Amino acid sequence: MVARRYAVSTAGKLSPPHAVGVPGAGAPFVFATAQYDSGDWDSAPMVPANVIDAVARYTSLAVAPQGVVVPLSSEACFQYPLLFLTGHLPVRFSAREVDVLRRYLRRGGLLFVDDHNHDVDGAFHKTVREEIARVAGALVALPKTHPLYRAFFVFDNGPPTTSHEMNGWGDNLVHEHLDAVLFGTRLAVLYSNKDYSSEWSYHPDNKRFLSVDNTKFAVNLVVYALTR
Amino acid sequence: MSAPKTPDAHRASATRTADAVMQDVSTIERALRTTLGFRVALQATGAGVASWMLLQQLLSAALPPSMRDVLSPGVLLVVPLMASATVAALCVVMLWRNVGAISPVRTALWIEEHGGTGFALVTWVEQHRAGQAVDAASTLAEVVGSASAGALQASREALGRLARRAMLGPVLFLVGAIAVLVAQSAVTVISQRRSAAGRDTSAPSGPRAAVPLGPWRVRIVPPTYTKRSAIELPDTNAVRALSGSRIEIVGRDAMPDSVVGRALSDGVGEGDSAARGRMVTLAAQGSGWHAAVTATDGPLEVRALRDRFAKLLLVEGIADSVPQLLLTTPARDSVLRTVTAPLGLEATVHDDLGLVSAEFEVVVSSGEGEQFTVRTVRVGARTFAGERDARLRSVLDLAALALGPGDVVHMRAVARDANPQQSRGVGASDTRSIRIARPSEYDSVAVEPAPPPDVDKSLLSQRMLLMLTERLDARRARLDAVVLRSESRKLAIDQSRLRQAVGDAVFQRLTGEQGGEHAHSVGDGHDHGVEAIGGKLALSGVNSQGMLEEGDDAPVVAINTPLLEAYNAMWDAGRALEQADTRSAIPFMRRALESIERARAASRLYLRGRPPTVIVDIAKVRLAGKDTSAPAQREARSALPTTSLGRERRLLAAASLAVTDARAARDSLAVLRAEALADAPLFAVALTSVLESLTAAREGTEVTAPFVRARRVLGGIQRVPSSSWSRGGTP
Repeated sequence: MVARRYAVSTAGKLSPPHAVGVPGAGAPFVFATAQYDSGDWDSAPMVPANVIDAVARYTSLAVAPQGVVVPLSSEACFQYPLLFLTGHLPVRFSAREVDVLRRYLRRGGLLFVDDHNHDVDGAFHKTVREEIARVAGALVALPKTHPLYRAFFVFDNGPPTTSHEMNGWGDNLVHEHLDAVLFGTRLAVLYSNKDYSSEWSYHPDNKRFLSVDNTKFAVNLVVYALTR
Repeated sequence: MSAPKTPDAHRASATRTADAVMQDVSTIERALRTTLGFRVALQATGAGVASWMLLQQLLSAALPPSMRDVLSPGVLLVVPLMASATVAALCVVMLWRNVGAISPVRTALWIEEHGGTGFALVTWVEQHRAGQAVDAASTLAEVVGSASAGALQASREALGRLARRAMLGPVLFLVGAIAVLVAQSAVTVISQRRSAAGRDTSAPSGPRAAVPLGPWRVRIVPPTYTKRSAIELPDTNAVRALSGSRIEIVGRDAMPDSVVGRALSDGVGEGDSAARGRMVTLAAQGSGWHAAVTATDGPLEVRALRDRFAKLLLVEGIADSVPQLLLTTPARDSVLRTVTAPLGLEATVHDDLGLVSAEFEVVVSSGEGEQFTVRTVRVGARTFAGERDARLRSVLDLAALALGPGDVVHMRAVARDANPQQSRGVGASDTRSIRIARPSEYDSVAVEPAPPPDVDKSLLSQRMLLMLTERLDARRARLDAVVLRSESRKLAIDQSRLRQAVGDAVFQRLTGEQGGEHAHSVGDGHDHGVEAIGGKLALSGVNSQGMLEEGDDAPVVAINTPLLEAYNAMWDAGRALEQADTRSAIPFMRRALESIERARAASRLYLRGRPPTVIVDIAKVRLAGKDTSAPAQREARSALPTTSLGRERRLLAAASLAVTDARAARDSLAVLRAEALADAPLFAVALTSVLESLTAAREGTEVTAPFVRARRVLGGIQRVPSSSWSRGGTP
């Protein structure tokens, strides 16, 4: 992976490109975790802090020091440009959640879904793909040339591999690409079964023990959600 | 009227008078010399006696006992005597100057002071001493002749008073010193007589010099059932012996005044002479003596006392443990749908001395609700010829047990050793249970072998206890009172164990911990939402909702009220069983059973806990923060408990004593180690190192490090191992 930093031109003062995400000019970025009725939405409690740490570490974006949990059935989702959804258990969106999520995506929001199980045809994998198809459409493979992989750091080989893939956990596969739902050229839903939830779920203070920071891809996600 | 004297006659009369006066003056001068000489002698004697007594006291206080033993009595006597004689001689030399200064002139002057002759006598004596001619017709002669008689008489009287005054002080001092010496001697004699009165009548009578106890031999005779031979050790002050062993001490020198024993861990104190006397027997044996004591489970101190000497023997009692068993097969509890094959049983058995027998004990409980039956089957019985380790194997034919749905099979291995003491019980392994599932438990998922949950295990055990109690109650009229009490107490013990297990379940639900570092118990100072009242548990007023919240981050959990009721009912049942009142215990046991059933039927809550809240310090991440330079707070160590505090003082005293009297320090440390064996084994191990260092230490060898380590162990101080960058020091 060749990492190259792209400058964020308007440090912390991005103008809202879409209707979703920024309630006012100069407001800091807030990492939001989607809370859904079924399943265990809070299975990776340390991911928000770690992503916030990475954004603060590598960019000059204004960022809130603490993430928020927003119910998927609430229109409060519209305040956040990026929603993170994870879990182990089967996912079944309620009618209200489908409605809110559908409107969120159409208004420009980006939903990042990660399979915390990382297994073959697991309960979360099967059900959440069905639900995404019901809400936004079928998932397709996201090419490695997508701007997401160059939004901040450059990932020429596509999504970074996780240690869980390398160590043969779960399905014992290294997934070559992520899946996505594209609204035109815009990324609306990004689906990963690479288990970033486990990869990033550690206290940010422990990041100093890693020889290579494995949360850089999260910076790309945030910058993409704010700048596209 | 007499005729006037002629000048010659007058001269002759004056000459005689002058000679008589000079003789009187010389007499008084000698008397003064004698008086003052006596006074000087008395004062010197008093100073000598005082210095002798002072030196004696100083020597007895300053010299350690070992040094006193080394020095011969002659040295101890001669040195103070020579010193006191020197002091007396110095006094004589210094005071004799006053006596030597007495002259006829000074004597005349002294007479003048008491007689008032207007210095005529002094002038007369001076002229006489100077050999000048005496003019008998002079006024001086007349004055001396007329006044000297009265002055001399007054001087003699004054001399008597002077003698009394000069002698009084020294005589009183001497009398006092002699009285003190006599009193000291009397006290010594009385104490020796009292000591002699307490001796064995066979001991030789008569005065005896204080001699320390000589070497002894120690013989350890193990209990008969161990079939081990006796061990004989040379002169030693510490032995390890199996509980029940007979420790025989044989001395070849004179018999000690007494030999006393003291258990260091059973509460027998110094003043309990009756208890001590029962422990040790002392008798004469030929020209020597023989003492015997029986080793107990704990440490024992035996002291042989003679005069002011004592010799110590520490007996470290080792308890004969019951056999230890490990049931290896089956490895875990299971629930089976059907019984299809024989069940293999396997256990390992170990005993510290030797095994006698072992077997598997299988208890089958059948029934439901209040109707239960219990069968006990013993399989795989085996006898041993004293092996210490063995493996027990057998096969249990479950089909032959005719098990039905809901039946539970409890299996354990039991073993016995040769110890005849019945109250020790038998060694037993953990109990495994296999339950046959009821059809109502079947579901779409196959029944997987899984251990029954703790609550279910408690329920089964409580049912068994209830049935056993009912059975005992039915046999109550036919049983002897002692047997009834014994059986009931066994049930009470089982009930107590079960109650503690249920109590753990209540607290596990309180804290979400299972034997973790932060284990909770009643009365530990934490607010659990429950409090102990008379042995039972009750919801505390502080937290009547049964919820517990410790700090901001601790999870909130619920108190299992049905289990709490079961706990309290078990407490009542256990108390009744302790009193062999089985009839009163049964209702409480039933109530406990009902409470456990309610706990089983209650809704299960699976608490995952709240995820930690992490707030990222953005400024710190971006290296834009400020260092407050506030150092971390260092907290003082908490004070040691009273017991440890006392031990620390004794350790420090022994460390000080090691410099002057290593033998006494070793004895002190040995006693301290023996006392610490039961409740502070790590400290005892550290003291063992100190003792070994002291024993191996030669002159100038450094023994500070073992003392420092022992003190750290006592205080629970953890030292981080020194790295290569450390400055080092005592590790």
